[in-house]
Amino acid sequence: MDFLSPVLDGFGVVFQPDNLLYCLLGVTLGMLVGVLPGLGPAATIAILLPITYNIEPTSAIIMLAGIFYGAQYGGTITSVLLRLPGEASSVVTAIDGHEMARQGRAGAALGIAAIGSFIGGTIAIVALTFVAPLVSGFAIDFGPAEYTMLALLGILLVTTLGTGSIFKSLAMATLGLLLATIGQDPLLGTARLTFGSDQLLDGIDFVIVAMGLFGVGEILYNLEALRKKAPKAAPVGSVYPTRKDFSESKGAIARGSLSGFLLGILPGGGATMSSMVAYAVEKKATKRPEKFGRGAIQGVAGPETANNAAATSSFIPLLSLGIPANATMAIMFGALMLQGITPGPLLVEEEPQLFWGVVNSMYIGNLLLLAMSLPLIGIFVRILKVRAAILAPLTILITMIGVYTVRNNVFDMYLVIGLGLLGYLMKKVGFEPGPLVLAFVLGGILESAFRRSMRTFDGELSGFLGEPIAASLLGAIVLLILLSVLRAVRSRNKATQNKENKNSDVTPAEREPEDGAEQRDRDPAEHP
Amino acid sequence: MKILSRNRTVRSAALFAAAALALSACSVQGGSGDGDGGGDYPTRPVEFSVPTEPGGSTDLVTRALAKSIEEPLGQSAVVLNKPGANGKIAGKDVFSSNPDGYRVAVMPQSLFAVGPLVLDDPDAVQLEDMTFIKGLAVEDYVMVVPADSPIKSVEDLKKAGNIKYGTTGAGTGSQLSQALLLGLQKVKATAVPFDGGGPTLTAVLGGKVDAAGLQIAEAFEQIKAGELRGLAVFSKERLDALPDVPTATELGYDVTVDQRRFVAAPAGLPDDVRDKLSSAIDEAVQSKEYSDVLESSYIGRWDADGAEVEKQLRESRDQFKTMTEELGVDMKGQS
Repeated sequence: MDFLSPVLDGFGVVFQPDNLLYCLLGVTLGMLVGVLPGLGPAATIAILLPITYNIEPTSAIIMLAGIFYGAQYGGTITSVLLRLPGEASSVVTAIDGHEMARQGRAGAALGIAAIGSFIGGTIAIVALTFVAPLVSGFAIDFGPAEYTMLALLGILLVTTLGTGSIFKSLAMATLGLLLATIGQDPLLGTARLTFGSDQLLDGIDFVIVAMGLFGVGEILYNLEALRKKAPKAAPVGSVYPTRKDFSESKGAIARGSLSGFLLGILPGGGATMSSMVAYAVEKKATKRPEKFGRGAIQGVAGPETANNAAATSSFIPLLSLGIPANATMAIMFGALMLQGITPGPLLVEEEPQLFWGVVNSMYIGNLLLLAMSLPLIGIFVRILKVRAAILAPLTILITMIGVYTVRNNVFDMYLVIGLGLLGYLMKKVGFEPGPLVLAFVLGGILESAFRRSMRTFDGELSGFLGEPIAASLLGAIVLLILLSVLRAVRSRNKATQNKENKNSDVTPAEREPEDGAEQRDRDPAEHP
Repeated sequence: MKILSRNRTVRSAALFAAAALALSACSVQGGSGDGDGGGDYPTRPVEFSVPTEPGGSTDLVTRALAKSIEEPLGQSAVVLNKPGANGKIAGKDVFSSNPDGYRVAVMPQSLFAVGPLVLDDPDAVQLEDMTFIKGLAVEDYVMVVPADSPIKSVEDLKKAGNIKYGTTGAGTGSQLSQALLLGLQKVKATAVPFDGGGPTLTAVLGGKVDAAGLQIAEAFEQIKAGELRGLAVFSKERLDALPDVPTATELGYDVTVDQRRFVAAPAGLPDDVRDKLSSAIDEAVQSKEYSDVLESSYIGRWDADGAEVEKQLRESRDQFKTMTEELGVDMKGQS
């Protein structure tokens, strides 16, 4: 087997004691920075870059890669326990994960997330080993037209999040899209909605929106609850997931691995999309969709598996094409260049030791992370026993540090407080932040991708139909809408036939994609 | 920044206390010097602001510089990323601070030479806001097409017509160089601005745009692997990295556009501080680390003193302005 020998050589590289040590160092650091919201893996790797000058290239990249996927494990912890999603890909985890924590099932949520992450990550590495050359082309097949459709699909899926009404979800998604337009026009650089302030020129960072609406909003809301009744420590149930939890999440983990691997290859919003797709798929797959948004374990298992699988597969474009798929990969690119290696299509042939050493180190890294996470869960869930009067200011402190580190900018700290107040008011009147935050992320992709497409199509909307992938995605969107309409009509007929069937919980939930999609679909057409 | 939180602490309790704490934890190296004489400069760490996210070439160059300058300077050097608005955020921040030499910024030429062609910004950073210390680096651009494209040469662009060309962003040298070349050819063309080098590279590899302008480091491996074809470089002479790719000038199109980076401090920096910084930079750029970064990223040296930096900025600004006006290339409309 000619193909397998460099792979096996790669294991030889990984099992050198110093490489094992760098791997352990990387994943431990990664997990720590993942726990701290704001200080993401990208910034950490940038700070550590000078240290790697004097290390062997392979060891250096093994360590830096460990920081990246280790951070994915750590990010779950704050999402679940404190409702502080530090990255776009863990926003959906915060919805059901935090709900589980409130019900005393934080341990189960973190446990299943760690196990799902491990399985998703490992499956993605296996897939990377065998099919990386085949699927790497997937990344360059996605241009502006394809991203336009992908973002549209994502906005369609936003409406399936949480438990709120369709109209509230849509209103929030619209607000998210509006917020995304703040700052410089993505193509021309003209200032928009900045009120003459330089601070808003670059738009609002995702971390600030997520931490303000989720984290700070939640804290303010809880403070209010403190006054009403004596503070009751959240019960911390079994620290580990039960057998029932496992059997409920099996399917979610399997499906999450697949969607995560495939979408992760796409540069840009791949990881975020994969967690949303995973959530939407689980909500459709389950027999009890009403549990979603109220602490469904599949709502944690699916997205968490998917975002880890995506983190792994996002190495594919970098290592096999020389294209960095996200900010962290861009810094990895820099790190490799500092070592005198420019990642490109020839990397696998020219540097097989490096390529396979790094890929195979991820098996070990994931194993280490699983071994570290499980015992730590017992310690982390104790955070919930801390009195709110102590926990709340601490959380705010962490949030503020995190927000400051994003751009080293004080203005962002005021912004997060403002958004926190908005999040508090939203929660008070029953609007959920999930659709807003995700529409905010997707809005940025949608607008620039759509306008780029229009430039390449000479302004003809029909250009989308000429691109096979974009056209197929458009077909999927139309199909989803039609199915939803059909189902809504049918259940409405049923409802009129037997009036005792007043459980209308399902009906609006099924109808919602229809409204959302049509609105978004029409929008670009009206755009000149 | 620290001052901000100090002055307004008396608002509401927990949030702002937390904010202040976070602040003092993060910005230990502030710039509000209180009367350090120039003589014993530097007595505390010097902060290098980078106007980009971590990871780009400016960031890499600055980090290598900061690491190598600690010895000649006798103080530690801290790199601070302040991305945003093509460098305006970092520029405004640093150049409005005290000119004491403890806060400097690494700035791109494009902000002053290309930016104004794209955007009328009455609030832009002006040359007068800065004390120029040293030139650092020159980066060149290459125009590429996918390897399987029917366009084999610059002349083929004319035949193909209706060119969609990818740029690394509005107001970049990538846009300007291609706009000028296509303008000289009188080819109908539409710029498609992407968000930096990575996405532009992806788009041209996938054939989503007909051509693209990239920096050498971004395109080199792909050209070597036969995935992209270099049509022209926009340097004065052919580049060592791409000896087979002709310059636009030798093809008869007088377009030379590059990106230059330099170190600047707020206007009014005392001369002795400037000299000290400038000689420390001279020493630092000779280090192996710094040289390695330049070499592996295909970045050239720009050995220029403060006055030369200023001259280059003025000249390129005027030259680009005249050229776009003469050719009737409207960077605003088509960026």
